[in-house]
Amino acid sequence: MMNAKIKKIFKHSEIYLFLIIIVFSTIIASINPSFLTLENLFDLIKSSAGMGILAIGFFIILLSGGIDVSFTAIAIAGQYISANVLIASGVDNIFLAFLISCSVGILLGAINGLFISIFKLPTLIVTLGTLSTFHGALLAFVGTKAINTAGLPDCFKVFGHKNVFVLTRANGTSYGLSVYALILIGVVIFSWLILKYTMLGRGIYAIGGNRESAVRSGFNIVGIQFFIYCYVGFLAGIMGVMHISLLRYSNPMYIVGTELTVIAAVVLGGARITGGIGSILGTLLGVTMISILEKNLVLMGLSSYWHKFFVGLIIIVSVSITSYQSKKRGIESLTFK
Amino acid sequence: MKTIITFIIMVGVFAIMAIFLPGKFLTVINFQSIASQVPEFGLLALAMMLAMMTGGIDLSVVSTANLTGVAGAIVLTKFINPQMGEGQIILIIILAILAIIASSLICGLMNGFLIAYVGVPPILATLGTMGLFLGIAIVITGGHGVTGFPDEFLFIGSGKIGIVPVPLIIFIICTLIVALVLNKTSLGLSIQLLGSNPVAASFAGINNNSVLVKTYLMTGLLAGISSIIMISRVNSMRPGYGYAYLLTAILVIVLGGVNPSGGFGTVSGVVMGVIILQLLQSGFNILAFSPFFKKFIWGFMLLLVMVINLIIAGYQQRKGKLKTRA
Repeated sequence: MMNAKIKKIFKHSEIYLFLIIIVFSTIIASINPSFLTLENLFDLIKSSAGMGILAIGFFIILLSGGIDVSFTAIAIAGQYISANVLIASGVDNIFLAFLISCSVGILLGAINGLFISIFKLPTLIVTLGTLSTFHGALLAFVGTKAINTAGLPDCFKVFGHKNVFVLTRANGTSYGLSVYALILIGVVIFSWLILKYTMLGRGIYAIGGNRESAVRSGFNIVGIQFFIYCYVGFLAGIMGVMHISLLRYSNPMYIVGTELTVIAAVVLGGARITGGIGSILGTLLGVTMISILEKNLVLMGLSSYWHKFFVGLIIIVSVSITSYQSKKRGIESLTFK
Repeated sequence: MKTIITFIIMVGVFAIMAIFLPGKFLTVINFQSIASQVPEFGLLALAMMLAMMTGGIDLSVVSTANLTGVAGAIVLTKFINPQMGEGQIILIIILAILAIIASSLICGLMNGFLIAYVGVPPILATLGTMGLFLGIAIVITGGHGVTGFPDEFLFIGSGKIGIVPVPLIIFIICTLIVALVLNKTSLGLSIQLLGSNPVAASFAGINNNSVLVKTYLMTGLLAGISSIIMISRVNSMRPGYGYAYLLTAILVIVLGGVNPSGGFGTVSGVVMGVIILQLLQSGFNILAFSPFFKKFIWGFMLLLVMVINLIIAGYQQRKGKLKTRA
């Protein structure tokens, strides 16, 4: 009985990624013992929460068989616009910041949705276009001036430091688990509920699995696609505010350029671009692995120059494994794709 | 039909530029500057076009150009010392060019292998190789640029044969070869069939895998040739150069009438698209648009062109003229 259960767990690809993370963490902990402290864990959660949220958004798009590379531009646009509005209006409220950033996010996401779901244009090219359009418009029309810590409204700095609970070290100083963990958990649960328990979620998997079948099953393709691109925009807006509060600095040239890292995390987690396959757990594991890798590259003796190389390598290896499995399955079942 | 529209657009853009900005636009210097930028960009566009004709995409063309440029730059700088004679320098230059070509073919082969034999979708495969190739280039150079090439090499980028710049000659030759391959060889026909309907092509007896690998080999090669022109024009190679070309390459291809889903497209359309873009680029420079505003415009134009193509396709379908695809 126990054997059958263990076998079932090993069927899911996420377990392999989990084991890789364990092995990797062990190696790092042996080089740097402070890796396995609670403090380091909290720090890891705080700094990777933003990427995790973006990854979940990208994952949902990937599930539907599409791709969206404009999420970074949406995140920085939401961040920069909300910061500027707060500064200009003098209002110092973090909720307003979230409201503005998420509204901008949903609006920009809706533009993506317009071209993809209503005009039915190819997703990669549309989002490549909107990436350039959004970022170019932000820099050209809103501004290029960075906002440094001194000029940043206090609500961001306070929010960045907020902790869920606090622990004290031996020397009296304290550290805590950031609220970022709560936001990440919230997004994870909300997304998971949508995917697993709503018709909308079923529809996302259906469109990704076989679009034609989804159409004939009566799913509202246009509505579902429009929703998910707006949802990604919404998540990007959340991430934008988290990012500015983490760095206590806002430069409109940031975030854009990190698309590859997020994509690597998602495909590492087992999501397939052909759509319909993948899990939020896998995505989170992928984000964890990439975060640990990024932070500890130096420990392994590799400078930050190696970052792009590893991200590219991870994408290629992960996608090769899942694509080859797909191909084998396709050949066996005589489906020609 | 689409080629005619592109031609009209090209003439129209030229006319508008000439009418509104006569002073600075209609000068010899301006056209020389346009002529010098068309080749390196145009080769990347041709490379991307070949990938798109098969229904895929190659996001790694700029990274390939970067990496192969680094390879060539290293050969040019590491193996040359001041005491060398003319003949030896030429030898090193030939070696460098061979290095670039070889590495570009390796890059293309990797793409082709991943896409054809492993079955990775082109978007993700080239996304991964984009990062990988650029990453290797960054690691090799430590992020810095490599400069200081021999004058004989620089002739490729800045020299002239008669009044025609050398890069333009290279570009014209490559354009003719690509057009020849696409229209007059069986490989070219296979590419179009494959892009149009991969399953049907496979059942028709076309070796899809072989065609795909050859396509991406050509893509890599064109990117390599582009990097030869690039590094000889600016006398240096810095990883990260040319990334703006990626979006604009897709823009000119779509402008030139290539169908992103594959199967349809003409070389003349793409060349005209390149020319249109360079005309606009020069106009924007004269008007002193900021690089950010240009980024906005290119993105906006890509979306606009896609929508217009859609409207045209819908119109043609209603009129019964569109060759419908399953």
